[in-house]
Amino acid sequence: MNRLLVVDDEANIRLLYAEELADEGYEVVTAAGTAEAVEKLQEGAFDLAVLDIKLKNESGIDLLQKLVKERHDMPVILCSAFSCYKDDFSAWLADGYVVKSGDLSELKQEIARVLAKKAQRQKAGL
Amino acid sequence: MVALGDCPNIHEGDEDLLESPRRRILEKCCDCPNFRRDLERFQSSGHPLGPVFSLIHDEYRRQKIHIQSLLSFLDSKSLEIRFFHELGSVLQSSVDLEEVLSVALTAITAGRGFGMNRAFLLMTDHKRDHLQGYLAIGPRNFEEAHQVWDEISHNDMDLQTLAQNFRKNKLSAERAKFHDILEQITVPLSNTTHILIKALDGKQPLLIEDAYHHPDVDPDFARLLGVDTFLLMPLVSRNRRVGMIIADNCITHRRITAEDMHSLETFTFPVAFAIERASLYERLQEELSRVTEAHTKLQEQQELIVRMEKMALVGRITSSIAHSIRNPLMVIGGFARSILKNTPDGDPKRNFIESIVGEARQLEGVLDEILNYSDSLYPTRDFWDANQLVETALRESAAALRTRGYESTFSAGSELPPAYIDFKQVSYCLRTILQCDLNGTGHPRAMDIDTHREADAVIIRIRDHGRYLPQEELDAIMMPFSSTQEMGAGLGLALCKTILEKQGIPLNAQSVPEDGIFFTIALPIRKEEQ
Repeated sequence: MNRLLVVDDEANIRLLYAEELADEGYEVVTAAGTAEAVEKLQEGAFDLAVLDIKLKNESGIDLLQKLVKERHDMPVILCSAFSCYKDDFSAWLADGYVVKSGDLSELKQEIARVLAKKAQRQKAGL
Repeated sequence: MVALGDCPNIHEGDEDLLESPRRRILEKCCDCPNFRRDLERFQSSGHPLGPVFSLIHDEYRRQKIHIQSLLSFLDSKSLEIRFFHELGSVLQSSVDLEEVLSVALTAITAGRGFGMNRAFLLMTDHKRDHLQGYLAIGPRNFEEAHQVWDEISHNDMDLQTLAQNFRKNKLSAERAKFHDILEQITVPLSNTTHILIKALDGKQPLLIEDAYHHPDVDPDFARLLGVDTFLLMPLVSRNRRVGMIIADNCITHRRITAEDMHSLETFTFPVAFAIERASLYERLQEELSRVTEAHTKLQEQQELIVRMEKMALVGRITSSIAHSIRNPLMVIGGFARSILKNTPDGDPKRNFIESIVGEARQLEGVLDEILNYSDSLYPTRDFWDANQLVETALRESAAALRTRGYESTFSAGSELPPAYIDFKQVSYCLRTILQCDLNGTGHPRAMDIDTHREADAVIIRIRDHGRYLPQEELDAIMMPFSSTQEMGAGLGLALCKTILEKQGIPLNAQSVPEDGIFFTIALPIRKEEQ
């Protein structure tokens, strides 16, 4: 079972992600901010992280850069209410970008795509 | 009463003298041989007044000749003063360098002026470290001299007209005529042993005679001028060394007198002052037009920034409102879908939940439209000056380049059309290219940047002679997010390539063995190409 880390500052959104992604067969762990995310990362490994860009006073992009450097084997999908960050080149470090929506199908598809790509890479021994 | 024909010295037209004995005696009789003879006869008659009259007559004649020579001297001085006045009024009123030079050189060579055959003007350059040939006037041989003198004798023109005529019809021809000599006269001001610099430092005119054997004159310099006698006239204005005039009589070989030197010395100060003033005025005009141009550009940029800020503010407000709505809407819609998923088909509540899902989807659609619109308000691309772009990137990279011992040169293309780019993003890429720390750094550490136009693009070329990598390695580095990508210099070259390509700007990197890495960026100049 793939283990996902969901980072979002809104409790209701964390709850929604947890419910829906668990339904898809993932083990979901949530974090409300950067510190909590780092804490959860230290507790165990994750196959993928879903990361919001605006985290109250913190920036998801900063966390993204940290994750890319320190956990380059863990893909990250940015999930934001803003579509404009798609054009921000600092966000291009992420493996995927989804605009938040009540319809979570796009996010689910993106998670499946990134995980499949990761599995392929691992299979090829890269 | 004397009648016409009584006196051999009174002819037709002198009738008024017949009725005026006083004038007749003073103007005619005193010089008449008959009168002289009468005086001698009177002296030999033994009359006591005889010798007295002879003495008075001799003294009168001597004084008359003296007065006549004084009058002629006065006439020549009056002419000289008139010439200086004419010259001064032109020099003082003009701030046009070419006009001043035309007047000065015409005055030296015109017959009504100092009547020299040839004059060379040397000027100190802007930085004042060299004295160099600038302009010359005069004939190159005897035939040409005759032609010029004939022309002048047929046209009785004043100095200003002569100078205007020279400037209009002959200035460029004279410059070209003496080009071979002028370009060879370049002397560093620090070369104090050279006769030109000696004269300039001495601030006094110098007459050089027997130049080919003169101990202070370089024989090559004498051969270049082709004369053995010439005059050096330093042009000094308020202790600033403005230039030098070399004048000679290479055609007539007329002797240059001390009086010539003195007159020319008087003439050089106003000329030096006028040249200095005209040069300063010319530079002032250049600076003024540069400042005006910069001011216009600045105004345009300011207007653009204000426009951008206004639009960005609208975008930010819209975006912020949309964000505040999107999160709760997502939760409402998301949970409604979740509930719907777990509600059996026959459940009467299903219609209500489907309504919530549908309405939430519709609201999300509206939000998307608003956000797309607000995104489009961010004026990311506009028309920008490619040279300004490179200069900015170079300025911002100067410290980093210096630290790594890099020398950089920038050759800005002229008359480039503005490029349609996102200034911030392209500037980031340029800085990354300039500063990226690739392996294989070699020597010399030099970077040549130039811009030019090619078809429908402005090309920025960066030739980095200090680095060398095999093409395969370079290609790997340019691959987006490849494992070899360097993270040290920002986000690396691969990201630059992606950023630029997203704007339709190709980035080409070529490894040239033994010569370094050559980057080429082609910026579009039209909106349609995006």
